[in-house]
Amino acid sequence: MDPLDELMARCSLRDQRAFAELYRRTSGRLLAVAMRIVRRRDWAEEILQESFVSIWHHVPQYDRVRSAPMTWMTTIVRNRALDWVRRPQHETSDEGLEHVVENWADDAPGPLDRLRNDADAGALNDCLGQLSGQQRQSIALAYLHGLTHTELADHLQQPLGTIKTWIRRGLERLRGCMDGAT
Amino acid sequence: MKPTHPELRRRLAAEYVLGTLHGGARRRFELWLRSDPALRREVTGWEQRLVPLATTLPEVAPDPAIWRRIEARIDPSRVQPKPAWWSNLAFWRWSSFATAGLASLLFAYVVATPALHSAAPPDAMVVVMGDSATAQPSMTVAWTPEGRGKTRLRIRVIGHAEMAPDTAWELWMLPDGNKPPRSLGLINTHETQVVDLPEDLRGLLNRAAGMAMSLEPAGGSRTGAPTGPVLASGKCVKI
Repeated sequence: MDPLDELMARCSLRDQRAFAELYRRTSGRLLAVAMRIVRRRDWAEEILQESFVSIWHHVPQYDRVRSAPMTWMTTIVRNRALDWVRRPQHETSDEGLEHVVENWADDAPGPLDRLRNDADAGALNDCLGQLSGQQRQSIALAYLHGLTHTELADHLQQPLGTIKTWIRRGLERLRGCMDGAT
Repeated sequence: MKPTHPELRRRLAAEYVLGTLHGGARRRFELWLRSDPALRREVTGWEQRLVPLATTLPEVAPDPAIWRRIEARIDPSRVQPKPAWWSNLAFWRWSSFATAGLASLLFAYVVATPALHSAAPPDAMVVVMGDSATAQPSMTVAWTPEGRGKTRLRIRVIGHAEMAPDTAWELWMLPDGNKPPRSLGLINTHETQVVDLPEDLRGLLNRAAGMAMSLEPAGGSRTGAPTGPVLASGKCVKI
């Protein structure tokens, strides 16, 4: 059983100490998720704060059968970060984006290396390994950094249609591979 | 229009989770998700497949002030006591959502509800309850005030409701004059259901201002008052 499950159950009974412990255990990872997408610490911390208030209010409706606690919380943070970064007034500078793409190659240890070292990530790591480098890179950049098709096309200097195809085919293969693995 | 082709549904769900579905398409997709459990399962599947990319990122320690702010927001003892929600004017104001679509809704959900009496009731009351999060109608409660014998509340749950395990939905009557809510009992997610009105509440119901539904621990509120968040509420309307 996921050690966070018990904390979530206590939180849904309005146990604030359990909530403090849940925050202690997960906030560092969730802040990292928001920071990759919005690329500014103050914005990411605001998203983290709003997400945890929302987690507290919605935890009684959390359904552990449907998703693991960390998956549920990551989804809340990612959706808030994606909404945030796509409001016109929050658009980050292109400089930030250039940085993201340039550092992709030597982002050490890169996201794929980190997956390799994580026991729970085995299936995703194996299946990403079966995609082409371009498919893998576009999927990881979109997921981790919140890049849209157009941003990916600009920064990987490829036609929009090519990017869309890489992502579509990449996701199809990933699904086929991961569903076959379980 | 909602997508029906399985391949398109799979692709939209994947790109929604990946984040490449954006703008109006993203908002529309979120709207479909509300009423499409199969599509939600598709999305959950992708969340689970991709989440290791996010959870294996190196941690970044948040500023300690962030937790203090969260704590102040969630712990009622750290903030000024707020007036009870049922006496809060703003709580009632949202229900203006009902005005526009009320007539058609009343027809669809009340008139079309299978009648429990063979003859049409002379006079009926209805509460169209709006979802607290979305302000969309989520439930109706209808009854005939002057009926002989027991007063039966006919409840209709709109859409595909889901209830978290180990929780209960409790229906409350909000008496006239900002008095504390009175429990009408527990309800479930079934589309149509009937609750017998407790005898002692008969007089109060005729003058009730509205109804609310709150999320409670399994078995219902142990304090006799709502303890969990209010999921839906609405005013009593005579039709």
